[in-house]
Amino acid sequence: MGDGSHKVGARYRTCVIVGIDTGGTNVDGVLLDETGICGTAKVPNTETRASIEEVLEALRSACDRFDVDRVVVATTLVVNAAVQDRLPPCTNVVIPGPGLGPERSFYGAENHVAAGAVDHRGRVTEPLEYDAVPSYDVRAVTAKFSDRNPELERELAAAFDADPQAVALGNESGAGLTFPERAATTVANARSKPVFSAYERAVEQAISSAGLDAPVYYLKGDGAMLGSEAMSTTPAHTIRSGSAASALGLVALTGLAAGIAVDIGGTTTDVSRIEGGFPATEPDVSEGDLETAYEGVTATSLPIGGDTRIEPTDEGYALADERMGDAAALGGDVPTLTDALHVLGIFQPGSVEDARAALQSLGGDPEPIAETALAEFERRVGVGIETLQTDGSSPIAVGGTLAPILGPRLAEAVDSVTRAEIPGYADVAGAVGCGVARVSVETAVHIDTQRGIKTVTAVGSERVDSVERGRQFTDTEVREIVAGAAQEAAMAAGGEEHKPVQIQATDGFSVVERGSVVGQIINARARVAPGIERWYEEGSP
Amino acid sequence: MTMGLIYHEAYLRHEHTPTHPERRERLQYTMDQLREEGVLDDPAVRRLEPVEVTDEQIARVHTDDYVERLRSMSATGSGRLSADTHVSEHTWATAKLAAGGVLRGLEAVEDGTVKNAFVMSRPGGHHAFADDGHGFCYLNNTAVAIRHLQATTDVERVLIWDWDAHHGDGTQSIFYEDPSVLVMSTHQDGRTLFPGTGAVDEVGEGAGAGYNVNVPLPPKTTDEAYMQVVEEIFEPIAEQYDPDLVFVEAGQDNHFTDPITDLGVTAQGYVALMKAAVDVAERMAEGDVVASLAGGYGIEGGLPYTNLAVIATLLDYETSNIREPAIYEPPTENPDVSSVLESVRAAQEPYWNLL
Repeated sequence: MGDGSHKVGARYRTCVIVGIDTGGTNVDGVLLDETGICGTAKVPNTETRASIEEVLEALRSACDRFDVDRVVVATTLVVNAAVQDRLPPCTNVVIPGPGLGPERSFYGAENHVAAGAVDHRGRVTEPLEYDAVPSYDVRAVTAKFSDRNPELERELAAAFDADPQAVALGNESGAGLTFPERAATTVANARSKPVFSAYERAVEQAISSAGLDAPVYYLKGDGAMLGSEAMSTTPAHTIRSGSAASALGLVALTGLAAGIAVDIGGTTTDVSRIEGGFPATEPDVSEGDLETAYEGVTATSLPIGGDTRIEPTDEGYALADERMGDAAALGGDVPTLTDALHVLGIFQPGSVEDARAALQSLGGDPEPIAETALAEFERRVGVGIETLQTDGSSPIAVGGTLAPILGPRLAEAVDSVTRAEIPGYADVAGAVGCGVARVSVETAVHIDTQRGIKTVTAVGSERVDSVERGRQFTDTEVREIVAGAAQEAAMAAGGEEHKPVQIQATDGFSVVERGSVVGQIINARARVAPGIERWYEEGSP
Repeated sequence: MTMGLIYHEAYLRHEHTPTHPERRERLQYTMDQLREEGVLDDPAVRRLEPVEVTDEQIARVHTDDYVERLRSMSATGSGRLSADTHVSEHTWATAKLAAGGVLRGLEAVEDGTVKNAFVMSRPGGHHAFADDGHGFCYLNNTAVAIRHLQATTDVERVLIWDWDAHHGDGTQSIFYEDPSVLVMSTHQDGRTLFPGTGAVDEVGEGAGAGYNVNVPLPPKTTDEAYMQVVEEIFEPIAEQYDPDLVFVEAGQDNHFTDPITDLGVTAQGYVALMKAAVDVAERMAEGDVVASLAGGYGIEGGLPYTNLAVIATLLDYETSNIREPAIYEPPTENPDVSSVLESVRAAQEPYWNLL
């Protein structure tokens, strides 16, 4: 957020971070610290553990020091599984209590309604009753007002007979959600858990076989990160994390304050909006049939990249919106956008002859086919850029291996682009994004001094503490409490101390019974400000 | 189907005393419930910003002397209109914004911006007279808004159903001689509750004779008896009056948990009452209906559920699950109201056919 937090005080030891961005085509890695980027790696994404091991080995041999303090990973695995409809079905148990009907919270393949109620003050006003048998092994449990008291959700989950494959509870899903949003998000977390935990195990194995003993973090879709435990509880947070990584990295590498980040990968091109020196975010991100109330970067992931196959159509030739493998120029079997660039003579690390042959196999002269494919790419990315631009025109920051080739061409082809910045390390922008992220967690505090309780909702198990009964807090005290809670929640999710906190809302009023003030109710929300921890605008020393 | 929801943080600013029953948290728990239910995120719910009513709009209803008295009392930061109706620093501005909320709701329904509207403002208005106020009321929000609507649109006849547990003495007096606003009040019998007025024989005067209908109900009156009033009095009069707009002065203090009244209506009862109002509006007024929160002091057990009942009905949601938590004991008495209805029929017999 340009809040100056990247200036690290002398009392802090240099922190060495590995950033890993697992995309559709490659796994990219960087090793960085406050002084610069020490090494980079790019390996084909074959199998999670093997690819990450390979990245770590490459980084080890590129850098003098390899005493890693932290590994930060961005993955599109959950998103891919959601898009390809590979996530398991879920039994969604809701505890709606009195009020609107439960149908508004039916997000499961199967939905059960349990009796029981928590009221707006967090009191259990009706006992839990649930005797249905879930059909699925993946389960979500959400109660109305469970952000005020997690008891009924915990009680229900504890009574599941067998050991289900995955259980997600509403109170663990995050702060500031409504009952229907919490139910949707909890179902999304439950369904993402099996895929994510398999991935998380593979990452842990790769890291330990590389001999590292460093905590692992995962990038959230809003550009902040979570420790692996917090992310394992709420893996739907990975929706948009691929776009978040590249946007964050491109901002850190260019210092772009406002404009559009374009990261051209092998399989996809991520286009994101940058505002106020940080990726812009929007609420309620979803993917496939996963719906969440989480924030994510404002971005479009276009299904076209360097390895996108070119195919003949009735009208000529077009990008097929799929990747079948490497470019023919680089030893692959099918004609791709990268082959088109070879044919046009603007990019040639590989065999121009193979590229020409591949395009020719489509049944025409290679040059016009190449021009058609490149023009389509520029036009479609241009539409993506224009859709996200807010003021009609802006600069773009471009990442990806093809950035030096395609960045200037986009600036030329798209009227609303004022200039294209292609930073050093553009080819590993997403991995850099992982390395510069900060832990930030939405945190809500509810205090009821008549009942003598304080409920803190963040990511992971909700905390209910006691507070002095009848106590009246001043506004200043409320702000201190919620700021402290946000700081603590961030630390619990693996964050560091002394980060700036944003207080989003505070609200309090008295509880009166029989004509006397008997307590106070306070609601407040805050979070550690999402931010960029390190900047590399001038590149690495 | 869009419902306008008029609410503003500034409605929390006006305070009587910290322990007064008419407190800001009356609105806060309801907002809590609406937020948690996801109602505020429904695209069918359109939040409308209220604007303070102008001097000219106020002058259609209130005397200059009274307005000046309120304004200067509020400017000094303290004073009171009666033992329990306090004036503080924010009272004047908040009262103008509350009246502006009702006005915004009426206008938005009338010009088709929304289908219907719920106004969740405070302070209330139905105990405010042209030249005085009491009963936690300062400006007569409803009267100021309706007078403005009548002056600026082609709305002629307005049916007010004031179902607050307390008789709306201010509203009755303002429209007492006016046939263009039919004021029907169902309330707890004035012999048992503030302000004491609202007897059956107060039927209006002059041109307004027959355009004031009072139904004083005995303590503990339940849903069932209220529905009897709806069928035997409210619906036939509404049909014969044929209003252009239906306005509900939605006092939620008929709820059985209310600490300062003694009636027996449940949250489901409120669903039924609001359905009746919506029904009449559908049949007589092209669906134009505005409900505006009046009283209601059952802050935890009543308001979140009764307000939800009214709002959900306006939105045509499924309402069968709207009820109080089981920790609140619903009423068991069911006093007979047939003699009251008989006397209402007798008093209104010259004006309406109520067989």
